[in-house]
Amino acid sequence: MQWRLDKRRVSEEEQLKDNGLTLDFDEVARKGALGGGEKLLSKWYGIYGSRHPGAHMARVVIPGGVVTSSQARRIVQVAEDYGQGKISITTRQCIQFHWLKAPALADMLRDLAKDNLSCFHGCGDVTRNVVACPLAETCQYKRINVLPYAKETAKALTAMRDLDNLPRKFKINFSGCGAGCGQPFINCIGAIAVTRKNESGEEETGFKVVIGGGMGWEAFIGKELFAFVPPGRIAAVNRAIALLFRDNGDRRDRTQSRLKFVVEKKGIEFCREVVIDFLEKENVSLDGFVFTDAVEDLGVPYPDRPLLEPNPVGTDGLVTVRVMVPKGEITHPQMKRMAQLTEEFGDKRLFFTQRQNIEIHGVKPEKVETLSGEIKKAGFATEGFFGLQDMVACVGSTYCPKAVTETRALFDILHPVVKNPKYSEIWDKAYINITGCPNSCSPYRIADIGFRGMRIREQIGSVEAYEIRIGGEHNRLGRLLGEYKLSDCARIVETILDTFLKERQGDETLAQCVNRVSAQEGVK
Amino acid sequence: MSEDKSLGPFLEAVKELDIKYDTAPIDQEYSTFAGVGAEPLDFKSYAKDIPCQAACPAKTRVPHYIQALAEGNPDKAYLINQEDNVFSGVLGRVCSRPCEDGCRHNWTDINGPVHICHLKRGASDLKTSKPEPLPAWFEETGKRVAVIGGGPSGLTAARELRRYGHSVTIFERDKVLGGMMVQGIPIFRLPRETVAEEVKAIIDSGIDVKLNTSVDAEMMQQVIDEYDSVLVSVGTVHASNLKLPGLPDDGHAVSGLKFMHDYNMGDIEDGSMTGQNVIIVGGGFTAVDCARSCARAALRLVGEEGTVTIVYRRTAGQMAAKYDEIEEMGVENIHIETLMNPHSARVENGKLVGVSFQRNALEDVTSEVGKPRVRAIEGTEEEFPCDLLIVAIGQTRTLNILPEGIHQNEGDGHATSHEKVFMSGDFNYGSLDVITAVQDGKDAAEKIDTSLMGRKRRQKHIAIEMTEVNGETGRVRDHDLQLPPLMPTLPLGQRDGIAEVELGHDLEALQVHATRCYWCQNKFEIDHDKCIHCNWCIEVTPRDCINKVSRLFYDEDDFVETSLETDLNHEATYIWIDSKECIRCGKCLRICPTSAITMRKTELCGCSTEEFEEKKSHNQAYGTVAHAKY
Repeated sequence: MQWRLDKRRVSEEEQLKDNGLTLDFDEVARKGALGGGEKLLSKWYGIYGSRHPGAHMARVVIPGGVVTSSQARRIVQVAEDYGQGKISITTRQCIQFHWLKAPALADMLRDLAKDNLSCFHGCGDVTRNVVACPLAETCQYKRINVLPYAKETAKALTAMRDLDNLPRKFKINFSGCGAGCGQPFINCIGAIAVTRKNESGEEETGFKVVIGGGMGWEAFIGKELFAFVPPGRIAAVNRAIALLFRDNGDRRDRTQSRLKFVVEKKGIEFCREVVIDFLEKENVSLDGFVFTDAVEDLGVPYPDRPLLEPNPVGTDGLVTVRVMVPKGEITHPQMKRMAQLTEEFGDKRLFFTQRQNIEIHGVKPEKVETLSGEIKKAGFATEGFFGLQDMVACVGSTYCPKAVTETRALFDILHPVVKNPKYSEIWDKAYINITGCPNSCSPYRIADIGFRGMRIREQIGSVEAYEIRIGGEHNRLGRLLGEYKLSDCARIVETILDTFLKERQGDETLAQCVNRVSAQEGVK
Repeated sequence: MSEDKSLGPFLEAVKELDIKYDTAPIDQEYSTFAGVGAEPLDFKSYAKDIPCQAACPAKTRVPHYIQALAEGNPDKAYLINQEDNVFSGVLGRVCSRPCEDGCRHNWTDINGPVHICHLKRGASDLKTSKPEPLPAWFEETGKRVAVIGGGPSGLTAARELRRYGHSVTIFERDKVLGGMMVQGIPIFRLPRETVAEEVKAIIDSGIDVKLNTSVDAEMMQQVIDEYDSVLVSVGTVHASNLKLPGLPDDGHAVSGLKFMHDYNMGDIEDGSMTGQNVIIVGGGFTAVDCARSCARAALRLVGEEGTVTIVYRRTAGQMAAKYDEIEEMGVENIHIETLMNPHSARVENGKLVGVSFQRNALEDVTSEVGKPRVRAIEGTEEEFPCDLLIVAIGQTRTLNILPEGIHQNEGDGHATSHEKVFMSGDFNYGSLDVITAVQDGKDAAEKIDTSLMGRKRRQKHIAIEMTEVNGETGRVRDHDLQLPPLMPTLPLGQRDGIAEVELGHDLEALQVHATRCYWCQNKFEIDHDKCIHCNWCIEVTPRDCINKVSRLFYDEDDFVETSLETDLNHEATYIWIDSKECIRCGKCLRICPTSAITMRKTELCGCSTEEFEEKKSHNQAYGTVAHAKY
């Protein structure tokens, strides 16, 4: 075979994908290992490689982050039988098992399926786990319960075989209000519930759709695609956006192929036209859509950070009790205990949050204290959420082959610093994200203080270091403070917090303070 | 990346901590990121980056013209060649190809090096118009220069001197210009139209030619008086003689040089040699090409019944011929006898009938030419029937062309004890190949111009240009696996000794060859200040080209001579691309999350000193330069 210069070139991954996406894990079990091309294809089935040779990681897809207690028990069994008993909660509400061996993958997937759990489309160039804000069902600020819509979208898009081969991963988020607890602005699609008055003067609830957000080396905040979409058609809109991405994403260069680059390079107007075109082709009515006009949100006013509220009481009068899982790592007996606790005190479900914690919903107010006591006995804290102590670290070089730094080490260094009682008055005013590489699994740019792993060279050799950004919010990127060695990170955090104590006005969060100061500096 | 100044008190508080790091310096392989590089470091890095160009005596921009061919533009490819090596049609057929020894493809074991020489010939074959004189660099100076000898070196020097603005006169002993190109190289290897075409492009730039003009020492003195400068490039026309007992002096043996001259000029009558046994003595560095050509020419003349034998005193491994050439000679029914020295000749009835040879043994001692010394073994004489003995054991120059008192300066190529007289080509350094002669002619022309004008008027530099093509050179890794088509040749039966044996490729075949080339003019380098040591580039490399290194060792020009590799993250000072190993696939650039890796185009350029200073002051050889992808 001879290659011509004018041959249209695609990335190697695209060539592999063209050969088909079928992978039989029983065959893998017989062979004992994943072959070259199979390593890529296995991602479509939620299986990744690990930093440790021979080990694999599996990511269980959990739309909205909600599992029943029986599913939780299944997770416990799988972790115990296949994954050295370790369970990781991800920042996109999934569950991960590390330490899996290739021959056992088929059996593991079968075991998961017994409780309707699946790893399918856990990774790969497909619609990834659809995320929703953790309090979606009961939050008092919600415009609408977005969980059913998240599940509907997840089910619909995963079932569509024409969306199996997207140029790159595709992430969708649902948020119940504009507070951004679900981080809608850093997803490919963020669907934010709004309540508005329509032309006939009636109140109706639907979604504002923002697209093209994303972290990574080049971070983008999502841009508004539609100001209002009636709720019944949100799955169709999500599909149309996926089609836009499928046909316009860069298939030659995987680092430039996410939807954020399509939006950046071709413009939001182009994207809107293409999406409307797809909707019309698929006979989706555009009645009731608001494309670009401003839509006034009439719902209850929400605080800046609703999740800060300890043990929030839901619209049904029942309480949500949270379990803080440091670094998102939980062992199988602990998870089993959580399943037991929700069966005993809660609504027999567990919710996984984007800050790698667990929530038990539907607890009767009088039982809260008992439950909290039980949780503490299991080794977890039940307060300090969404604050300084609630740090999020990606798995880092402990497991991840891509990570530059051991994020857990920084976590352990910073934990005593932020626990210092002198910061007690700002414990709930800032949170910290730590990520080990530019891929930003822990979205460091939208945290009050964000760390991204790197190395700084010395005269000979190099040491672990972090790029530090401060002032990020769910819809605003943090500002670069500098690049510092791991050994200096603790005193820099201390300095930042001390400065914040000095500079803060009223009830400001760290991000608000930084951005106010920054705006003043700009005026100077 | 610099911190956000608007952070005000936060930034100040952190600065007050006074955290300073002792960081290893940024290592960059060129003195400037983009623009004009003219430091010794730049030339060293360039030579390392593009080994084929470095190996070429004339520093032909090999990857540049190969890329032009791959893009289907033989005219551009020819022009690059014409500029750099003057006789690209000739060299595309007869070059000694030092470039191919340097080619990075030598390491792959997949089809060997890129067939650079054939590509050069392809550009010459497929160009759409006849070669034209190249534009002059400078206005007419009014200076007159005489060039003695119209061979490759003399012609090159004449062309360059003309471009410098001097008026040039060539004195040629023979009836045609071209020197060894028309006298020494057999016609079936190099059609004379090709030579004529390229010589014409030189002469048409306005050069006076005096053919059939033999210059001796006396006339030389007149020329020196008449002209502002004289370049002597008369080659090595004195064939070394072989004194053999029993062999009369009067022409029973003929030198290879004379034989080839007569053959190429058509002076040997057809049928006069049929059925004869011809023996060629030689195989050393200067003679092997001649010897081989003689053998092929002789074979045609002697026909089926005759025999042609090459006798060499060392082993085949020490011959200047390559193994594939030796094999080819076998196909053509030319015998090779090694480890033999001529001992004596036998003449009967005034006719040579046989030459006896003595066997040799190789000694462990190395002779002054770098090969093992030979020792004749007594009593091993053996006679071979021989009607014609061709002696091709070397050529030397005849210095008596120079008037008395003029001699070559020690250690200073080109210049002589007379300020007006310069020498170049084979006459300068002893007999070598065409490509070396071309470069020597260029160098001599530059020296003459400097001496005439009193200053150096042209300057070389490396032009470094930033690219925005995302590491895509136009070539993909799969191009490595292509099967390069073989050079089509004339069937054995049709090889009449005149028709060209190698027929040349068509454009499609050339493009297959051209896309095998890695196009090493593209330089991939990591900006160490942007690198975060994520190692993603190391993960995607196809070869051992990107490494963690703990130390780089520099020479006096800051050129990286060696590196100390490490596997450990904490020992890695740099993530470093070794351009020796880099195959320019661009994967690392595309995976790099921080845009620390860039692809730049490098090209060796020459321009007038004024233009060079101008470019250097702006440091922009080419338009604007942007560093990042966005």
